[in-house]
Amino acid sequence: MMIQFREVTKIYDNITALRRVSFSIGKGEYVFVTGPSGAGKSTLLKLIYLAEKPDEGSISIAGYSTDTLKERAIPYLRRNIGVVFQDFKLLENKTVYDNIAIALRIRGVGEREIRERVHEALKLVNLRHKADNLPSALSGGEQQRVTIARAIVGEPTVLLADEPTGNLDVDNAAGIMKIFSEIHAKGTTIVFATHNRDLYRNTGKRVIKLDSGNIVYDDME
Amino acid sequence: MLYSFKVALRSLWFYRWINLLSILSIATGLFIFGVVLFSLYNIERATHRAPEKFTITVFLKDRAKESEIQSLVNRLSDEKLISRVKYISKDEALRELKESLKDAAYVLEGLDENPLFPSIEIKLKEDAFNRRDVDYFIKRLRRLDVVEDVFYGEDIFSSIKSLYRNFRVASILLIVLFSVAIVFVSYSTVKILFFKRAEEIEIYKLLGATKGFIRGPFIFEGTMIGLFGGLIGSAGLLALFDLLKGLGNPEIPLVRMLVLPPEIVAVIPVSGLILGLIGSVIAIGRLRY
Repeated sequence: MMIQFREVTKIYDNITALRRVSFSIGKGEYVFVTGPSGAGKSTLLKLIYLAEKPDEGSISIAGYSTDTLKERAIPYLRRNIGVVFQDFKLLENKTVYDNIAIALRIRGVGEREIRERVHEALKLVNLRHKADNLPSALSGGEQQRVTIARAIVGEPTVLLADEPTGNLDVDNAAGIMKIFSEIHAKGTTIVFATHNRDLYRNTGKRVIKLDSGNIVYDDME
Repeated sequence: MLYSFKVALRSLWFYRWINLLSILSIATGLFIFGVVLFSLYNIERATHRAPEKFTITVFLKDRAKESEIQSLVNRLSDEKLISRVKYISKDEALRELKESLKDAAYVLEGLDENPLFPSIEIKLKEDAFNRRDVDYFIKRLRRLDVVEDVFYGEDIFSSIKSLYRNFRVASILLIVLFSVAIVFVSYSTVKILFFKRAEEIEIYKLLGATKGFIRGPFIFEGTMIGLFGGLIGSAGLLALFDLLKGLGNPEIPLVRMLVLPPEIVAVIPVSGLILGLIGSVIAIGRLRY
């Protein structure tokens, strides 16, 4: 299993964001996590990329368990997980190229290899011509594509997306979904959080539905 | 490592006004630090060499025989500390006194007998000088039967010694105080830069950056701020030294005696580098994921 939640509970200031949640996601799966706002979708993703720790239960990611994981191992585990944030989290004072390259510089990759891999990632998201622009000069859809390029340039085994089309128009959203399909086709496990039913309807992909911190539907079961 | 260094250089330029202010503050602190070391060094040197400027006068007993005096003069001439020995008989002493009194020499008229003691004037060697050896030598002289008393300006000498001791304590306190101040300047600069880039750091953490990758540029930056401050402080000290040498009348021995050893010029940037490093390490503290 690539991701496994066992009886996971997460509480923020007496509000239960997730309650005894258990599920597994296999290698290479493409899973949509859905539900209304406040259902616990973002919390679930944060627990996967270790931005939060569970209050109860345990999580395993790519064989690492949160019970035994040492703090110094967290960065190395995060390198296996690409994250596409709804608010992009781009470095405003760096160009598109540098925003993507930083994911590889962190890994200690040499500049020549960085150049090749960044251009490949930019090609995938169709933004090669914007490499020298600052994020502020890009549209919302373009910024989201930069975030995707940054998430995949390190060739992670898991790609998490938190409402990546939330701020985009229909055409841009369709473009983003196409990119995700291409990434999935290469064998990457994808967990895609969205409240937009149109994105997963008729795709044949697995859907986990959350409501008030509980799993109310999982078509795997 | 190279990437961290590049990021630090870019940040030095990007936040140049904050950094410049910190560099100048550190430079001022390290300049004063250098002036204290420079003064301490020269005062120590002056006090260490002070006794060589004094003539030791050995007053001999009135009843000392000529043969005893000659034997003492011979023994003293062989001493490794001594460069010159001069015997002054009672008659010579009186003649010298009369010469020094010049027009007032009449005060000595009417003396029935010569009240002065015969003496030996001793000049110490400048190079082989060691204060402890001299103290021991004086003690040995005093024990001799033929010697009435020994004078070598002990009071002046002990005042200089106590002045030096007090100055040394004050200097150490000043150096500690300025070191703490420099660490604080480096600490607060790096802390400000760290807060300014807090969002960027959070993104780096989410992308899988290690603590070393995040800390590296800040540590380089704090260290460079300290180093640049130190280099400016050193340049200031050299300029002050040149100014003193240039302003000073060569006839004034105090200015002529001043020395600025290269060790002090070098220790200032090194201290800046180390203090800057300490400040930046404390500023970043413990990173949490």
